[in-house]
Amino acid sequence: MVIEYLYPEIANLFGDSANFKYLRQSLPEAEFVETALNDVPAFAQRKVDLIYMGPMSENHQILALTKLRPYRDKLAELIENGTHFLMTGNSFEIFGHYIENDGLKTDGLDILDFHSVTDIGHRYNGFFLGERNGVKITAFNSRFSHSYPDGNCSGFAKVLRGHGINKEHGFEGITKNNFVGTYLLGPLLVLNPLYTKGLLEKLGANTKPAFFEASMDAYKRRLDEFEDKERNLD
Amino acid sequence: MIRFYIALWAAKLSQFLLRLLGRKGTYFAGKLAIKLCPDFIGRIGRPKTLIGVTGTNGKTTVSNMLNDVFASWGIELMNNRYGSNVDAGVASALIESAGICGKCKKDIGVLEIDERSARLIYPYLKPDYLLITNLFRDSMRRNAHPQYIADILTKHIPKESKLILNADDLISSSVAPSNDRCYFGISRLPNEPDARENIVQDVRICPVCAQRLVFDFRRYNHIGKAHCPDCGFSSPTPNYLLDSIDFDGAKMRVKESGETNEYKLTANAVYNIYNSLSVIALLREMGYSSEKIASAFDSLKVVQSRFWEEEINGKPLTVIMAKGLNAVACTRSFDYVSTEPGTKSVVLMLDDVFDEKESSENIAWLYDADFEFLRDPSITQIVTVGVRSLDSKVRLLIAGVDESKIVAVTDEKEAASKVDIEGADKIFLLYELYRYDSAVAVRNQIAQRMKEVL
Repeated sequence: MVIEYLYPEIANLFGDSANFKYLRQSLPEAEFVETALNDVPAFAQRKVDLIYMGPMSENHQILALTKLRPYRDKLAELIENGTHFLMTGNSFEIFGHYIENDGLKTDGLDILDFHSVTDIGHRYNGFFLGERNGVKITAFNSRFSHSYPDGNCSGFAKVLRGHGINKEHGFEGITKNNFVGTYLLGPLLVLNPLYTKGLLEKLGANTKPAFFEASMDAYKRRLDEFEDKERNLD
Repeated sequence: MIRFYIALWAAKLSQFLLRLLGRKGTYFAGKLAIKLCPDFIGRIGRPKTLIGVTGTNGKTTVSNMLNDVFASWGIELMNNRYGSNVDAGVASALIESAGICGKCKKDIGVLEIDERSARLIYPYLKPDYLLITNLFRDSMRRNAHPQYIADILTKHIPKESKLILNADDLISSSVAPSNDRCYFGISRLPNEPDARENIVQDVRICPVCAQRLVFDFRRYNHIGKAHCPDCGFSSPTPNYLLDSIDFDGAKMRVKESGETNEYKLTANAVYNIYNSLSVIALLREMGYSSEKIASAFDSLKVVQSRFWEEEINGKPLTVIMAKGLNAVACTRSFDYVSTEPGTKSVVLMLDDVFDEKESSENIAWLYDADFEFLRDPSITQIVTVGVRSLDSKVRLLIAGVDESKIVAVTDEKEAASKVDIEGADKIFLLYELYRYDSAVAVRNQIAQRMKEVL
């Protein structure tokens, strides 16, 4: 199994590299590839099972988009063929029609049917409680942007508390086949051991995530807090 | 103008009444004044010379050092030492030092200024000197990312301000590029490795051409000296270069404008040595002689609320402010503890006080902090304390700390009883800034046990 982390030198703003580290500890037999901005991505050269990318500053997001543009058709083919993608924070916005920031539109890879709008004057922070395939998702939001589906897009998780892909939408994130794009950032996989267990199974690994029991203890306590209506999660 | 005077007098009256009630350091007066007169900060009198101190880490320490130096010279300052560092705190400090007509009674002012408050302060108040300690990741909720903060500063720093910048920090040293500036930096010291690996390293690519930077050496995070092999971009050359430290003799040597001067070393940790060096650079730029500065340094101490060590029955108990939600500041504390000689038991009280009361805590920052330092074999026990103790436990496990060394305690009252008093040579307690009072309570319980057991 091959797991690729795209652009770790810029796509790791909020503890997100923990997702890659946690996968590495959970899948000791797998091969882990870190692809720098000037490298040819592994997915362009051979079979990769999961491609990960984390959030970036707004300038770096455009840089990553520029670097991925030559591989647009390959990425579209991989998404269509069911390769797993986990794109956290604003990294998934690269896959939409365009990213608008301060009136300037930058063309995205135009693979998925949505667009994004960045408003650097207004930061949205909040906690997120959602549900995906019966599993509760606990996570964090911190962003300047929102995304807007332009057609038939599936969400990553149903919103139970907090904001989704935009302030009105009832779903968080964008999915297509095994592509998961989500604004939820930070150590998402560590925070959600049950979701991670399901992801490992889908990748064909019949194993529990690393430190599963300790992660579950922390997850249950967090879930109690997030489900407590007395607590402010905005 | 009438509006200004109404605001000034109302604010001064509120300060007088609050003082009668025994309240010090509140920013209420400033808040009231700005509410009544939005450009109040620009209308009230300012000292003849105004120094601003901003940056992610060290601005309180640097401001306090400056206050102490000026006090040792018998100079009374306008400052916000006991107040807040946002616009209302700055306004309160100005009101405090102003007469009834709004004229400032002090010649020199030192203001610690929150970096995100730049847009609310600098349009009205233009520091003659602005010292930027560094720019790192901080709370993602408030500060987003370092480039966001650097852009805010570049946009709002007055063009008249002379900047005192950290040459070893490629983020803060690049702000407001058209301003007059000088740099301070520390040479690679003997025994320093080529690169200290940290999770957070926010300058990996060239800001000019986006090629991968080559670090000639990296002290921690993105602090160090780098160049771009493609376009020639490089770290700036320091005007004030600390090139030698004598830890035993507590001296540091600074090369400045062709001369070399010695100063007392007021701290052992390198991040605090940067703070001392920045103070020297600023004072030299203001025209004070190195002899006068050196003499003032002889009486300086590190602020005790941030570093407090006491030996109890022959065993050191050390309390360090580690600044929760701030991965880089915590990492520096972890690094410091891990390299201290002897075996250690470490108590972590890092939960955010406000999040705990009102909602929950975004613990993503734990994964930016290098808990990996705490897997050092010299650390024999780690007690994680608070509602997030289970999250800290998971973080420690992922860092490679053996589970048998970790004790997770939710209730602070139980923390002291879990500390292995006899098993380690030293005991450290690392606490989040706003958790000081409860950290002191736990520290006192540990001290009591040490008196009983040892």
